[in-house]
Amino acid sequence: MTYPTDSSSSEPNNSIPAISARGLVKTFTGRSGTVEAVRGVDLTVQTGEVFGFLGPNGAGKSTTVRMLTTLTGITSGSATVAGVDVASDPDGVRHKIGVALQEAGLDMRQTGRELVVLQARLFGLSRAEAGERAQELLELVELTDAADRLIKGYSGGMKRRLDLASALVHRPDVLFLDEPTTGLDPASRLVVWDEVRRINELGTTVFLTTQYLEEADQLCERLAIIDDGKIVTEGTPASLKAELKARRGLQSDPSLDEVFLDVTGRRRERGAGEVSEVAS
Amino acid sequence: MRTVLILGERAVREAKRTPDALLPTLLIPIFFLLVNTGQAAKIFPTGSTTWLEGQSYAAFQLPATLLLAASFGTAALYLVEEIEGGYFDKLRATPISRSSLALGRLSAEALKSSLLTIVILLIAFPFGIRIASGVVGVVLLILLTAGWAVGYSGFLQFVALKTRNAAATNSAGLVFFPLLFLTPNFVPRGLLARPMEIAATLNPVTYVMEALRSLILVNFDWAVIGKGFAVTAGFVALTLFVNVRTMAKYD
Repeated sequence: MTYPTDSSSSEPNNSIPAISARGLVKTFTGRSGTVEAVRGVDLTVQTGEVFGFLGPNGAGKSTTVRMLTTLTGITSGSATVAGVDVASDPDGVRHKIGVALQEAGLDMRQTGRELVVLQARLFGLSRAEAGERAQELLELVELTDAADRLIKGYSGGMKRRLDLASALVHRPDVLFLDEPTTGLDPASRLVVWDEVRRINELGTTVFLTTQYLEEADQLCERLAIIDDGKIVTEGTPASLKAELKARRGLQSDPSLDEVFLDVTGRRRERGAGEVSEVAS
Repeated sequence: MRTVLILGERAVREAKRTPDALLPTLLIPIFFLLVNTGQAAKIFPTGSTTWLEGQSYAAFQLPATLLLAASFGTAALYLVEEIEGGYFDKLRATPISRSSLALGRLSAEALKSSLLTIVILLIAFPFGIRIASGVVGVVLLILLTAGWAVGYSGFLQFVALKTRNAAATNSAGLVFFPLLFLTPNFVPRGLLARPMEIAATLNPVTYVMEALRSLILVNFDWAVIGKGFAVTAGFVALTLFVNVRTMAKYD
């Protein structure tokens, strides 16, 4: 299986970072008071990277993604995606990004093909071009057999792959994947990982949030860990492990899981037969 | 405009795939037409009731039926589903104008309402109801009813965007019932008791109903028809404004 290439698409400019955020803050005000979900995030993601954004539940991962993808306003700070300012030119950013959010937001009353065609047409493709592009992408994610069935009959893995396909209709420079494998069985997870690698090989920068440390270890060249709205560490998986090993004087190489627990100050506890994270 | 049509086409496809949601918007208004006519037709016989203009009491009731059919606004409930399911965010992440997002579903509501109006008229004609203003009047009747459907669906869509809650949106739909009963629904405005007449005069739905009734019973009374179109245009403009504003500020 090969990915469709487009010689006419603009090449990403490698001299500017794919994502740059400075002092990003998001505050929500509700009846119960004010919540500071993101508290001054600084980030630089280089063009062509697969960048992992890790953190416990409620750490601010999804809120950061929503700000970078123009879905949520920025309370303070600034961000550019593919060189375009998120706050002042959200439409410019939307042209450059693909977005697959948590829980695969899809229209269950459409078929897979209709959904991808619609998405392509919203990005300006003609009906014929959108049809061709949808066919390419459905082949890519191996959904051609199910393409003309209603999405409500798809399995979780099929929905994720369709969501991924619909995020690629316009050949985005930067692809945001918010927990793309949450809730998937191990086999479907591996399929999504393969897709992410192939998309990245074509030059698309991937910004991936995940709760699965193995996923980050497998896919990401660099990663940042966010906790309580702030980035607590950043680097390559290898450098983060080496730093922990040296600091703690460990005999063997630590896992990314141990790095995560170390920087977030959490520990694992077993209760009622389930392992969960708790603050130390 | 292109993206409005693309999103409108999707909403029409969605309506075709959920006929069970469309059926009540036809059956309930027809039910009210039958019940109201059955209860009051003998009180207001055609021959001796001058304001019926020679038609049956069902013709007098027809505008209420058309307005009720145009005021279900199921599109807003689909919108809540999309907000809850995350697809609305997917659409918001595309580089289309926020007004297109607001207008996509509403354009489909205009089409759905037009088709419903035609079906209701086709059901009404065999029972002797005639449109005094002829073919042009039928076209105006369809346009006015579709305009009202866009306005009312816009109101419900606004509630959906604000509350992001299906129960709240569904409850807001019921607002139409008190508005409907504060109109000259059963008799002309001049025959209403004074407090009801004041309430009906203040109620914008009254002017849309009177315009529809004028087209059905009287022919072209442009003063009355003009008021109906003006109220509808104002209502549509207001709901579109608040929809686009809410879409732009949606967080």
